[in-house]
Amino acid sequence: MSVRTFQRGVFLPHYKEFSESEPISTISLPPEVIIPLQQHIGAPNQALVAAGDKVKAGQKIGESGAFVSAPVHASVDGTVTAVEPRPTFTGASVECVVIAVDREQQEPQWPEQDHAALTKEEIKAAIKEAGIVGMGGAAFPTHVKLSPPSPIDTIVINACECEPFLTCDHRMMLERTSDLVEGAKLIARVVEAENIVFGVEINKPDAIEALEKRIAGENNISVVRLEVKYPQGSEKQLIKAALDREVPPGKLPLEVGVVVQNVATAVAVYEACRFNKPLIERVLTYTGDAAAKPGNLRVRLGTPISHVLKERGGIKGAPPAEDGEIPMPPHLVGKVIMGGPMTGWAQSHLNSPIVKGTSGILLFTPSMVAKTAHTDCVRCGKCVDHCPMFLYPNYIGLYAEKGSFDRAAEWGAMDCFECGICVYVCPANRPIVQFVRQTKREIAAARAAKAK
Amino acid sequence: MPEQEMQLTISTSPHLRSPETVSSAMRDVLIALLPVTLISIYMYRWYAVFLIAVSMVSAALFELLFRKIMKKQATLHDCSALVTGLLLALCLRPGTPWWTVVLGAFFAVGIAKELMGGLGWNRFNPALFGLAAVTLLAPLYVGTTSTFAAPLRQFFGSLDVITQATPLALLKQGLYDQLSLSGLLIASPGGALGETSALALIIGGAYLLYKKQIRWQIPASMIATVLVIATFWGNPLENIAAGVPLYHVLAGGLLLGAFFMATDWVTSPITAKGELVFGIAIGILVMLFRKALGPTEGVAFSILIMNAFVPLIDRLTKRPKFGEIPAKKAAVAPARPAVSKGN
Ligand code: SF4
Ligand code: SF4
Repeated sequence: MSVRTFQRGVFLPHYKEFSESEPISTISLPPEVIIPLQQHIGAPNQALVAAGDKVKAGQKIGESGAFVSAPVHASVDGTVTAVEPRPTFTGASVECVVIAVDREQQEPQWPEQDHAALTKEEIKAAIKEAGIVGMGGAAFPTHVKLSPPSPIDTIVINACECEPFLTCDHRMMLERTSDLVEGAKLIARVVEAENIVFGVEINKPDAIEALEKRIAGENNISVVRLEVKYPQGSEKQLIKAALDREVPPGKLPLEVGVVVQNVATAVAVYEACRFNKPLIERVLTYTGDAAAKPGNLRVRLGTPISHVLKERGGIKGAPPAEDGEIPMPPHLVGKVIMGGPMTGWAQSHLNSPIVKGTSGILLFTPSMVAKTAHTDCVRCGKCVDHCPMFLYPNYIGLYAEKGSFDRAAEWGAMDCFECGICVYVCPANRPIVQFVRQTKREIAAARAAKAK
Repeated sequence: MPEQEMQLTISTSPHLRSPETVSSAMRDVLIALLPVTLISIYMYRWYAVFLIAVSMVSAALFELLFRKIMKKQATLHDCSALVTGLLLALCLRPGTPWWTVVLGAFFAVGIAKELMGGLGWNRFNPALFGLAAVTLLAPLYVGTTSTFAAPLRQFFGSLDVITQATPLALLKQGLYDQLSLSGLLIASPGGALGETSALALIIGGAYLLYKKQIRWQIPASMIATVLVIATFWGNPLENIAAGVPLYHVLAGGLLLGAFFMATDWVTSPITAKGELVFGIAIGILVMLFRKALGPTEGVAFSILIMNAFVPLIDRLTKRPKFGEIPAKKAAVAPARPAVSKGN
């Protein structure tokens, strides 16, 4: 049985054992949800509600007229208390709808319909209405991705979950195998793709087995076994491994006839088409060596991470929460991350709400916290050896540090997708991803200035 | 949520790091040099200990001193000065006067490394730069041993082996019959500290390869190039019968250069392909030095010369980005994918 992969990349410790065997469980509703109006890449939404309004779970509360955009919905029954900027996971403040959650929640009604009877246009409309975005973290509106200008022959479902610690996609594959396959079929129907390929890393043999059992007898659907290597779940690397096609620099997968969707997104598409259910909750992995009770949790969007911590017993070894205070002793917890350990965002507080793209909450003990001090590049070549885009991270860092952003771009900064491998392997601990972001900002600013 | 006392680290992704650091890599190099160091001490006794101690201590002191003068943080913990000091000592012959060693360390650490901006900015291999500097400035005091060992004799006792003709000199004079292959391989006196045992160097090199601190490209291409040229320079059959190619590999610091000097991170090309080019070029230069020029230290100068060409090699061997190569395959409308069920 062949196991496929891409060139370069790096083997990371898995750290999946904390949560991989925890079935998905549901987190209770918090007293307040904070729903950022913009949770996607694209045009910002306008609020459709104001302070004082009553809202129902699933009600649309933010929308934009633009095509490249995704609406947001109330995730609970409650009363809007404010529409105001609140800090989100990136640290930036974003306009948010704040909802005080009603004690009494009506069981939301999602009328079932025959999703197999929907036309291509109806599916796409349902996806857009449901506000679905890429749930692996990129948060690009899914209906836009499913409107390619050129023909698509294959849908690749990204079931790698290649970042350490994260296990929520794995659990979805086991517990919602059928919904996942149906979602993938709906996605394939929209773009009239003939083939569906599930790319799964071989450290999830039970998921591979479940999927293969489910697709037995179906033509044009297959499971490809992939090596456990980071970043196997990055679109370009995944397409290379699963189909042996290379997406040229600066181009999208549709260039080679492929659309990639991740597991959570496919399940959301199924729910949107089957039940007309908007994206108001998601499954994420709550884990880390400082987490008292790791698990895979279904959480309503807008839930502050503090609520999740409280419900899961807070920090390992620390006393339980009292009067809404979660003890965060500095000797037991050193870092809180939203997202995966390689691409996620460190948090300075626990108030950030969970959004559509939040795949994980990680709690690290101080010993897990990476040192930030760095020295000059010693030209060891490890970053060059491992960069999955075949760039020169050493030169990007060198020139960006000196302020020569054009030179940094020459050595590949604009093609970097910030996977973090170069920083991981660097013995001098060079913050190359930071330099890349800086270069991208500077180059964009220079281009904008020129265009004027 | 009330404000609470938290000390959370805020830093950009990624949040994981490999355990690898510059210090751990340098420590690996020191470990890899241990076998040859021990054999040289076994061969040269106190002469070797003295040389190594003077070299390492002065390398460390010069690093401290230069960084102090330039008001930079001390970096002794990265162990790179110790590596340079040890490598310099291994390039010298027992009985080299102490002040020559100190001068070498001064040029190696002070000039070649710290004045260039510190570890990472040096263009030339520091140890070899130090060796070259003293070879050029004080030629009489490098490479000859009998006279200058004299003052030490009253402390360390006399040692015949240090006055023997070096294997390299015999090699140059074509006196192959006076060379012993097994001696060269396992342990034999004559020459610099680092030339006493090819086997010890190979063990050290293998350790570095195993620890992934160096790639195979430089040592392999350097050694292969020397083997080929040594075979075909003159009558190949006679050369092979006399074992000439092997002598060229085992003698004269070639292995020390191939595993420990040319592979220096800072002063070698950044890609594996560049390293192949680099290794082959060094191999050619080494043979030119040995065959055509006088009794200078060919390996050291060959590596230093190629150090200067590293930026050029990097630029010439620049690889295409992901997706840039198979333009043909990707550009045309994709053929039906080769999707087979449950493969
Ligand atoms: S340069 Fe970018 S793509 Fe390459 S390893 Fe670094 S973060 Fe990843
Ligand atoms: S890994 Fe770090 S030290 Fe090594 S070449 Fe890259 S940037 Fe330089």
